[in-house]
Amino acid sequence: MEFLLENILNLIGFIIGIIIGVFAYVGYKNTGSPVLFRLTLAFVAIGIGFGIIWCGYMIDDLYLQEGKINRGLQALGLGIQTIGYFFIAFSHTIKSFFPKSRYFRSVGILPLFALSAMNIEHIIRSFSFILLVYGAIETFVSFLEGKQKGALAVGTGLALLAFGEFIAWYSLVFPESVLYSVSILLKISGLISLFLPISRLPLRKIKFDDLDDDEDMKFDDLDDGKFGR
Amino acid sequence: MGIYRKQIEIVGDILYAAEELTIDQEGASITKLIQKANISHTRISKILSNLVSQGLLEQVDSKRACKYKISMSGKDFLREYKTFSEFTDNFGLTI
Repeated sequence: MEFLLENILNLIGFIIGIIIGVFAYVGYKNTGSPVLFRLTLAFVAIGIGFGIIWCGYMIDDLYLQEGKINRGLQALGLGIQTIGYFFIAFSHTIKSFFPKSRYFRSVGILPLFALSAMNIEHIIRSFSFILLVYGAIETFVSFLEGKQKGALAVGTGLALLAFGEFIAWYSLVFPESVLYSVSILLKISGLISLFLPISRLPLRKIKFDDLDDDEDMKFDDLDDGKFGR
Repeated sequence: MGIYRKQIEIVGDILYAAEELTIDQEGASITKLIQKANISHTRISKILSNLVSQGLLEQVDSKRACKYKISMSGKDFLREYKTFSEFTDNFGLTI
């Protein structure tokens, strides 16, 4: 059951990550916005991370048949996902200077101590958790400021992914319980919630810019860096 | 404390203003664009010449003063800008 759920989660994560990543890349190509570039890196990394783990499960299912994924492959996939979560958090950090967020620091440091003796996979998961919590908090704050329904859905998605990671830790303490399956279901719900506002945007109408790279519009060189970030 | 607009947001505001103010073929005057996009004359002159050279705005020769109207590629850019602005808003970020 867990094996099947893991397969579904990672396949969904791969597809959603790549779709949002490509969408952000099209936006970056057409507008030159550095925020969209960071979101491209974030979601492509998240998609690739999920994809690697999915491939690991498929390889085991089709060839090795050991009933478990190669730990190195799992750690690699989780590491790449964490890089993606980092870029989401990093975009928020630039927007609202990191040291202001005392709440995040107090909440975020705790799991690192709690899992200091665990293996690298769980340390990576703890980083993902911290970054996801931070991203979720910042997105919720933006929702409170702007009342954008999309921001609420994305914030909820990031929060569900973070909660999923948190529950996955607890499954280490209670390995035979349903906690791990619950964490996977939470993460699937989080990914769907992330995708909801994006699915409402007019994906089909968007196309790549016909201009060559040299001819692309460059607005950054217009003025002193006062307005640029 | 005031929030600085990014360069791309200023460009978006100018194009939006130009689109709003281009009622007929005459285009919008610099004064109207300054008021609508909330930007200084020094800054807007530089940006306008860049937007014209990029083909996003068209310069219209008028009897009294130079006017600008949004071009087709400017409209395309503005549409893309709005879409991706909404996209980044969903993440609690600004484009």
